[in-house]
Amino acid sequence: MPAASAIKVMVVDDQTSMRAMIRRALQDLGFKDIRDKPGAVEALPAVKTDRVHLIISDYNMPDMDGLQFLEAVRADPVIGKTVFIMLTGSADREVVQKAAALGVNNYVVKPFAPAALKEKIERVFGELT
Amino acid sequence: MMRRIPIVQGEHAVVAEPGVIISTLLGSCVAVCLQDPVARVGGMNHFLLGEPTEGLGDRVGQERYGVHAMELLINRMMQQGAARNRLRAHLYGGANIIAGLGAIGSSNAAFARRFMETEGIAVGRCELGGTKARKVEFMPYEGRVRSSVVADAPPPVLNIKPLTPPDDGDVELF
Repeated sequence: MPAASAIKVMVVDDQTSMRAMIRRALQDLGFKDIRDKPGAVEALPAVKTDRVHLIISDYNMPDMDGLQFLEAVRADPVIGKTVFIMLTGSADREVVQKAAALGVNNYVVKPFAPAALKEKIERVFGELT
Repeated sequence: MMRRIPIVQGEHAVVAEPGVIISTLLGSCVAVCLQDPVARVGGMNHFLLGEPTEGLGDRVGQERYGVHAMELLINRMMQQGAARNRLRAHLYGGANIIAGLGAIGSSNAAFARRFMETEGIAVGRCELGGTKARKVEFMPYEGRVRSSVVADAPPPVLNIKPLTPPDDGDVELF
C-alpha cells in the first residue's frame, strides 16, 4: 500500500480553477508533493527535469492536447513509464480509446468527485494510505 | 429573423453567427455570458453550484459543478476560434429568492466573481444578487446582452437536468 504522501504528482490543466480544485482533492486524499502547469507544453520539460510518479492531465487543452502530451511522455526513454491519468469530458469516448492505445493508465470523466479520482488512482497504485 | 436558443440549468450554448439570441431564466443560479469580440464567438451557460443530493461535506463537490460548467463553455468557444485571453464576461443571477434556502444565490454569485478573477477574465456587466428572478438574453456575435427582472416569484422549473457525473463505466478498459 503506497503512501499518498510519497507519490509526486504533476497536474496539467489550462483552467486555473480546475488545477486548484484537483490540488485540493489530492491534498484531501493525502498527497503532499503536488506541482501543476497550465499546459502540456510547459509540463513536458518540467517532468523531464523533475520526475514525478503520476501525471494527471486534462485532454482538452490548446497548443498540445492531452493525447499529444501522453504520446510525448510515452516516447521518452526516461519518463516513458510514468503513470498517466487523463481527464476527459463525457463525450470523449473516442479520446479514451485513443488514450488507451497510447498507453494511458486510467482516465477520469469530468465533472468528478474526489472519490472517483481516488478510485482511479488506486486502480493503478493500489490502495493508498 | 432572429433565432432563439433557450437554455436551462446544466446547459450551455455557443454561437458564432449573427442574429442568434441565447436566453435563460434565472433565480439563484448563475448564467455567465462570455464573448470573444475579435473572433465574434460567444456563449452562455446556466449553472447551479450546489448539488443538493451529495457533497455537503465535500469542499470540492460544491464547486465542481460551476468549474465544470465554465470549462465546457470555454472549451467549446475555443474550438470555434475564441482565444482565452480575449474573453469578456457578463454575470447574471445569484438571487436569494426562496426563503429557507439560505444564501445559495450569494454563494453562487461569489463563485462567479471569484472564477473570473482567478482565470483573469474581464467582467463587463455584473447583475448578481438581489431577491428577484431575471431573464437574460445574449446575442453572442453582436456582443449585446440585456436582462430584465421577471417577478417576485422564482422562475418556473423547466426540464431541470442536474449536472451529475456521467456514467464513466461505459468504456471499460481497466
